[in-house]
Amino acid sequence: MVRGWLNRLYTMSGWLAAAFIAMICLLVVSQVFLNLVDRISTIVTGTAIGLTIPSYADFTGFFLAAASFLALALTLREGGHIRVTLVVGLLPPAIRRVVEVWCVGVAICITLYFTWFTALLVWESYSYNDLSAGMIAVPIWIPQCGMLFGLIVLAIALADEMVTVLAGRIPSYEEKGEGLLEENRVAKENNRSVEA
Amino acid sequence: MTEVSMTIILLLVLFALLGSGIWVAFSLLAVGMTGMFMFTEAPLGEVLATTVWGASNGWALAALPLFIWMGEILFRSRLSEDMFAGLSPWLSHLPGRLLHVNILGCGIFAAVSGSSAATAATIGKMSIPELARRGYPEKMMIGTLAGSATLGLLIPPSIILIVYGVATEQSIARLFIAGLLPGVLLVSLFIGYVVIWSLMHRDKIPEGEPSLPLKEKLKRSRGLIPVMLLIGGVIGSIYSGIASPTDAAAVGVVLALVLSWYTGTLNKDSFLEGLMGATKTSCMIAFILAGAAFLTVAMGFTGIPKILATWISTMNLSPFALLGALTIFFTVLGCFLDGISVVVLTTSVIMPMVEQAGIDPLWFGIFVVIVVEMSQITPPVGFNLFVIQGLTGMNILRVAYAALPFFLLLMLALVIITLIPEVVTILPQLMGG
Repeated sequence: MVRGWLNRLYTMSGWLAAAFIAMICLLVVSQVFLNLVDRISTIVTGTAIGLTIPSYADFTGFFLAAASFLALALTLREGGHIRVTLVVGLLPPAIRRVVEVWCVGVAICITLYFTWFTALLVWESYSYNDLSAGMIAVPIWIPQCGMLFGLIVLAIALADEMVTVLAGRIPSYEEKGEGLLEENRVAKENNRSVEA
Repeated sequence: MTEVSMTIILLLVLFALLGSGIWVAFSLLAVGMTGMFMFTEAPLGEVLATTVWGASNGWALAALPLFIWMGEILFRSRLSEDMFAGLSPWLSHLPGRLLHVNILGCGIFAAVSGSSAATAATIGKMSIPELARRGYPEKMMIGTLAGSATLGLLIPPSIILIVYGVATEQSIARLFIAGLLPGVLLVSLFIGYVVIWSLMHRDKIPEGEPSLPLKEKLKRSRGLIPVMLLIGGVIGSIYSGIASPTDAAAVGVVLALVLSWYTGTLNKDSFLEGLMGATKTSCMIAFILAGAAFLTVAMGFTGIPKILATWISTMNLSPFALLGALTIFFTVLGCFLDGISVVVLTTSVIMPMVEQAGIDPLWFGIFVVIVVEMSQITPPVGFNLFVIQGLTGMNILRVAYAALPFFLLLMLALVIITLIPEVVTILPQLMGG
């Protein structure tokens, strides 16, 4: 049951990120369209109407930050983050497991530290009531929450991987997205499950 | 503690972290943290959170997911099939005949996708079976594909140039435009090489197909016209200054969607797959960029880049010698790391050194990208080699051997842009602003 919850958490967070990307596109295209209307009106009537979506550049940035961080966990699980597997890939399974514990361990430490200080940053922005500089002054803690939430989900996902690796199973990020050699990948997985 | 030992310690930490398989973004963060913790009194955690937040919400960076998405949409459309059918009738009289489909096909697809591995996979899937069936020499078939697919990094809109632009605070629009002529130069070099090779080995190139009437040729190329218009529109609007790269990218996504709807390849699944693919790729890159942004700031606190820059200036190296040394360094680095990681590492540490030597950062961006292109086709870690190995089942060393002439041509291009920097700088200068 916990498995199901966790997977849903990663997936939902990932789709939320995708929705933000789609919204960036929508926002920018709308602004381009308004610019176009403005240009045409300048040509026809001689004056621009001055159509702009207020603070659209700020919002684009905020959406982007939210998208980047919310997708972290799902990207990790699908093997989307780049790593050098040249050495690791050559190790025998037993040693490889130790190395994976080290990798996930370092990543967890950094993520927890990072999450903690991001939480402080958000808290500070909230308590000082920091506002964004644009036409629409957004309390900056609101978009920063996207980053914080993404990091928390990433920390959970890493802890999840740690449990998997310690239990002797193959972490979910492995052998995905690296190399396109289908047969090799299947062969490797077979080998490892035989030896395990 | 002397500065030299500081630098060496941090380099060792970096290689240990990367080599042990820790994700690139985490490795960058960890090295930055180590440097700040060991050598400065600055408040580490606060700097970390503030820097990463600041680096993650920029307007210019928003071009990244959008261009990736545009590529994902077109990748799922019928583009690659249209490419072969549309290009081959025009090329069957040039010496080397259909080998040029690989080069031009990659050049065009590179413009829409910005990723060299995706370019190799898409064009190769289509062209390798066709070329093999007609009996083209294997070595040239593989070599042209491996070499030309690297164009994806240079021909605008290029993902790696966005990364470089954001990391070094250069105008992405100018970088794109700067990449245009070198891209054309590379395509010409590749075509020239294939022509000369084919003239020397006439017996190895199969007979061409009978020539088609012009009307028929045009009819077959019809599928390519919308894509050409899309690329022309994107590059043209950036060049003329009507649109920023982010604007052009968003419009590009919408047009790509319209295009794939029109050709009947757009449905709910392909739309969502494309969007999710773009989200994950851009998340990966944004995270590496965040790590690099922090590393840059952390290095600034330690003062290492400045020390290196002064050190280089006391050595009185000519810019040529410096570039030569950097080329070797990057090529070696690129043997083990992917292109984006190479670029962000460069910008964190090497930029002050480069500026100190009086090298134009805009020009240097194009230079780095060509070096990274070279590293895509060098073993043991060359992404294009992996992709082509996957497509053909050929041994990676044989693929690398087939790609060797193209590696040398890339190097020739480096020499050309070093001797005649105007190839890079003239278009951005004409652009004004």
